[in-house]
Amino acid sequence: MAGTKNHDYHILPPSIWPLFGSIAALVMTSGGALAMHDYAAGKYMFFIGLSGVLLTMFQWWVNVVNEAHAGDHTPVVQLHLRYGMILFIASEVMFFVGWFWAFFDFSLFPSTLTEVVGGQWPPKAVEEVLDPFDLPLLNTLILLCSGTTVTWAHHSLIHGDREGLKKGLWLTILLGLLFSAIQAYEYAAAPFPFGENTYGSAFYMATGFHGFHVIIGTIFLIVCLVRANKGHFTPRQHFGFEAAAWYWHFVDVVWLFLFVAIYVWGGWGYPTH
Amino acid sequence: MIFGKHARAASRSLLALGMGLALFAAPQAATAANPAAASAALAEQAQVDDAAVAAEAQASEASAPAAPIDRMKPTEGKGMPVAKGLGLQDQYSKLGGYGAWIHDAVLMPIITVISLFVLFLLIWVVARYNRRANPVASKTSHNTLIEVIWILVPVLILAGIAVPSIDLLAKQFKPAGADALTVKVTGNQWNWSYTYPDNGEFELVSNMLNLPNYPTINNGVRVVKTDPSDGPAQLEVDNRLVLPVGEPIRMQITASDVIHSFAVPSLWFKLDAVPGRINEKTLQIDEPGVYYGQCSELCGPKHGYMPIAIEALPRDEYNAWVLKQAGGVIDGQDEAGQAADDAAGAEADAPAEGEAAQTESQANDA
Amino acid sequence: MATTAPPESIPAHSDDHAHDDHDHKPAFFARWFMSTNHKDIGTLYLIFAIFAGLIGGAFSGMMRVELAEPGIQYLDTFARWFGAVDPDFNATLHTWNVLITAHGLIMVFFMVMPAIIGGFGNWFVPLMIGAPDMAFPRMNNISFWMTVAGFCSLLISAFVPGGLGIGSGVGWTVYAPLSTYGSQGPSTDFAIFALHLAGAASIMGAINFITTILNMRAPGMTIHKMPLFVWSVLVTAFLLLLALPVLAAAITMLITDRNFGTTFFDPAGGGDPVLYQHLFWFFGHPEVYIMILPGFGIISHIVATFSKKPVFGYLGMAYAMVAIGVVGFIVWAHHMYTTGMSVNTKMYFTAATMVIAVPTGIKIFSWVATMWGGSLEFKSPMVWAMGFIFLFTVGGVTGVVLANGGVDDVLHDTYYVVAHFHYVLSLGAVTALFAGFYYWFPKMSGRMHSEFLSHLHFWVFFVGVNTIFFPQHFLGLQGMPRRYPDYAEAYAYWNEISTIGYMIMAASLVIWFANIIYAFTAGKKAEDNYWGEGATTLEWTLSSPPPFHQFETLPVIDEKAVH
Repeated sequence: MAGTKNHDYHILPPSIWPLFGSIAALVMTSGGALAMHDYAAGKYMFFIGLSGVLLTMFQWWVNVVNEAHAGDHTPVVQLHLRYGMILFIASEVMFFVGWFWAFFDFSLFPSTLTEVVGGQWPPKAVEEVLDPFDLPLLNTLILLCSGTTVTWAHHSLIHGDREGLKKGLWLTILLGLLFSAIQAYEYAAAPFPFGENTYGSAFYMATGFHGFHVIIGTIFLIVCLVRANKGHFTPRQHFGFEAAAWYWHFVDVVWLFLFVAIYVWGGWGYPTH
Repeated sequence: MIFGKHARAASRSLLALGMGLALFAAPQAATAANPAAASAALAEQAQVDDAAVAAEAQASEASAPAAPIDRMKPTEGKGMPVAKGLGLQDQYSKLGGYGAWIHDAVLMPIITVISLFVLFLLIWVVARYNRRANPVASKTSHNTLIEVIWILVPVLILAGIAVPSIDLLAKQFKPAGADALTVKVTGNQWNWSYTYPDNGEFELVSNMLNLPNYPTINNGVRVVKTDPSDGPAQLEVDNRLVLPVGEPIRMQITASDVIHSFAVPSLWFKLDAVPGRINEKTLQIDEPGVYYGQCSELCGPKHGYMPIAIEALPRDEYNAWVLKQAGGVIDGQDEAGQAADDAAGAEADAPAEGEAAQTESQANDA
Repeated sequence: MATTAPPESIPAHSDDHAHDDHDHKPAFFARWFMSTNHKDIGTLYLIFAIFAGLIGGAFSGMMRVELAEPGIQYLDTFARWFGAVDPDFNATLHTWNVLITAHGLIMVFFMVMPAIIGGFGNWFVPLMIGAPDMAFPRMNNISFWMTVAGFCSLLISAFVPGGLGIGSGVGWTVYAPLSTYGSQGPSTDFAIFALHLAGAASIMGAINFITTILNMRAPGMTIHKMPLFVWSVLVTAFLLLLALPVLAAAITMLITDRNFGTTFFDPAGGGDPVLYQHLFWFFGHPEVYIMILPGFGIISHIVATFSKKPVFGYLGMAYAMVAIGVVGFIVWAHHMYTTGMSVNTKMYFTAATMVIAVPTGIKIFSWVATMWGGSLEFKSPMVWAMGFIFLFTVGGVTGVVLANGGVDDVLHDTYYVVAHFHYVLSLGAVTALFAGFYYWFPKMSGRMHSEFLSHLHFWVFFVGVNTIFFPQHFLGLQGMPRRYPDYAEAYAYWNEISTIGYMIMAASLVIWFANIIYAFTAGKKAEDNYWGEGATTLEWTLSSPPPFHQFETLPVIDEKAVH
């Protein structure tokens, strides 16, 4: 009986993508390091590496989807995927903890020795901040709204309403794109530059990484929409969709913290743009 | 190449272990019997040495081609590491003796006993429960009483350690007092600069003396051991940080580029010099002497070559030294100048107070 | 950990199953470069860790040779090895900082972690819980190759310009602002990206281990019946998962400060260099437990096996590790006592740090209690394990000394600290690694090693590492700062002895390699359970080496089994 699989776990065939992706990642980071120091080859290396990384991701998840359709994702393997996604989101939360830590360090203990800060928050060098109850509030509502539309899509999926699934996904994606567009507009119009002082550093890096995660989440949802259009997902098995929804909610929650901490509390009573 | 030389000394490696175990076994023996008595004896020694140096300096004044530098000659083994030393450097500051006592009389005995106890248990089980002595293993895997004991006893030991340890921390953070002397230390790549805001704001830059048979490390600085007052190579500097003894001094420490750390082992003093922060700590030196330290935070290639040398003088000698510095003033001796300085420096002083507040507020941010 | 026999008898390793598709080993390239097999990936990790360890060890040899006597003797030569052309004195000294940086990063991220988690964790966590493989076999492989990519990035960093010399000379802690405006050139960026790559690899590995352990335990193996090594990897994986992203954020701040004009750590823009230290040590302290906890797990199995007794106080042992993991997250600032913290902060971190001694004490005493009343057999793993217990105790008690904020004022950043962390890592984690190696090598390779060479290896190693590191306590107490290429004459004596110790230690590695060669050329074929009745975990029910895919029918754990 040896050699016959009598369990529900997923034993995979060899794959080239881990090696390929790692080499691509090394090329990408090396290119990045060189490009940041104006070595001519750096840019090209970076983009070649980035393409390799993206190709790896694409092929990898194509494999995963195919394996799901081949029936490899037994209930226990689906449980693996759930655990994996929850743990990944937990690590992402800790990544944002780092950025919030920097923000609170700067805002609670502003340097008195540095003129551009002058012992106050926002720093002296920042004359105006963004009005939290203007576009940021709109963005908050957009994200909260998108949280409901993705739930609409999920419930439609569970109840076999494919049209509702697609509509919900379309709306969520549009709201996500709208959020990104408004963020881009805000960045362009913000009364303080990137970097230069603690405000420009903490604000842009924290909200920027959030924005980056919104874009990833949007792409994830777009993939789900494409798959929904191809007839993927069943009311009983649709973890790809669920993972995207979880990720979207995570991005949403991070925004709420950013909005409350950085936009509202961090700029309270300060002149706004 | 190097192996032959070290192979000859290989026996010494075993000696190292032996001495290590000896230190574990008899921590008291390895440390001076009583820090107070030891320092008193050393103080006497220092005075004798001083007199000798002074006499020597006078005698050689006429004949020596280069005039010897008018500064204290360090006492061998005081305020500096000693060859083959096993324990802490002897302590010459108000809290150093207490800290050393905690290490030598509390921590070392406890950790030695614990290590030997574990070693004893291991030897015991090897002897008593080896396969021949005990062919059939017991199946015991629980014993609530012993488990409670080995939780409670360490807790009590740690609580015992915590009492003096927390007390030492509280004492270390006692502020120097409003009228205490303030000295500002700035770490630079790769030297220290010292300013004396209470004595006319003059500044000294302290470079390590160059080393014989090395490339030049500090341009324009002489080579070590070219003056009778020079202490050990790699520790001696051109301009020492001169401080008065017997009074609390407010040490304000910062850096101009990267992080450095101002450390003097024999004064139980180490505080990081962080750019953008002014860290503050009280230093009180017990007796005159030269005390050496070294930068203790990685700060670039010459991290190893920016030592600290403190020359501690009685207050009157300190005052005399201050007056010899360009721009040096002492309260009371130069009333007019001081008043003018105060008026002119009022604005300059304001940020200094702000800086102190900054220290406090940033210190809370931990 | 008593278990029933596996429900089917798995034939001893032979080629007969090669006819079956499922157990057919892929061809060479596919097997080793495209692997999705936890044992093969574990083997790759171990080979990689040995290779990285040799490089990291060579760097420490270069350091010890330079430190053998006062003065700068060899750094100029070393600088040329890294590609410096006619280095000036700064570039020569910079090479020292490159050595300490590379040694630290390699040993932490590319030797101990890949060996103990990637190597032994990959090999034995699935075997011990009765699982056929890891939860995410393909992600398992990218964890490995990303670690290799990180290592390559770190090696590249040593050969490109890094400010005043070739390579990145910032210390393994990469403190800002020395690592930001204090180090021009791409070298430090390469080193930081090495940490990004290795960190991403470790996070994926952590997700994989947690999922595997929580989801793939054999029927009947409740969480309180899990072998202690599995417990240790579970706790370690949580530490990795929650600590590494904070490091990722911190080093990303370094990158943007260096290249894009942010001022997180630049005082000119109000930034705070101490913030970096908080972020780093919030990761860094759990990191030291990441390196030692799996070692605790390995030692527990070895001690139980060779005492022929179940582990004493199994639950206490498991939850002591959980406690160490949890408390490990709230003590980080004891690495920063001299940065100018407030008195209350310093008191809190002093007290919290000393608390860790309690669960650590539980572990030490439980190991002794496991041996107490046992029938001890001093096979090679047991000798290493007993060495571990003593050496780790010595390293642990000096940790209690350093925990005291007031005492740390004189010991911080001296050789006392170097001695302390090498006692818990070089003499702790590495001894545990060798213990695990001798415990499991025949299981992995199918060949028995030489007991004589293993014992000889132990004693030479033991004398060597103690000779290196015990005198460093004296140097530290006498005030010798760490990260110095040169020192005052007074420190010469113990430094020379320390260097002699390095040579003894290096000789022990030759014995180790001889042992491996012996095993593969002349070693006896290993039986399924070559350690006998004391070895009770599931890996001993399998052939040595286990089949390419084990547990194709899952084993069932006896519900009544007790510890």
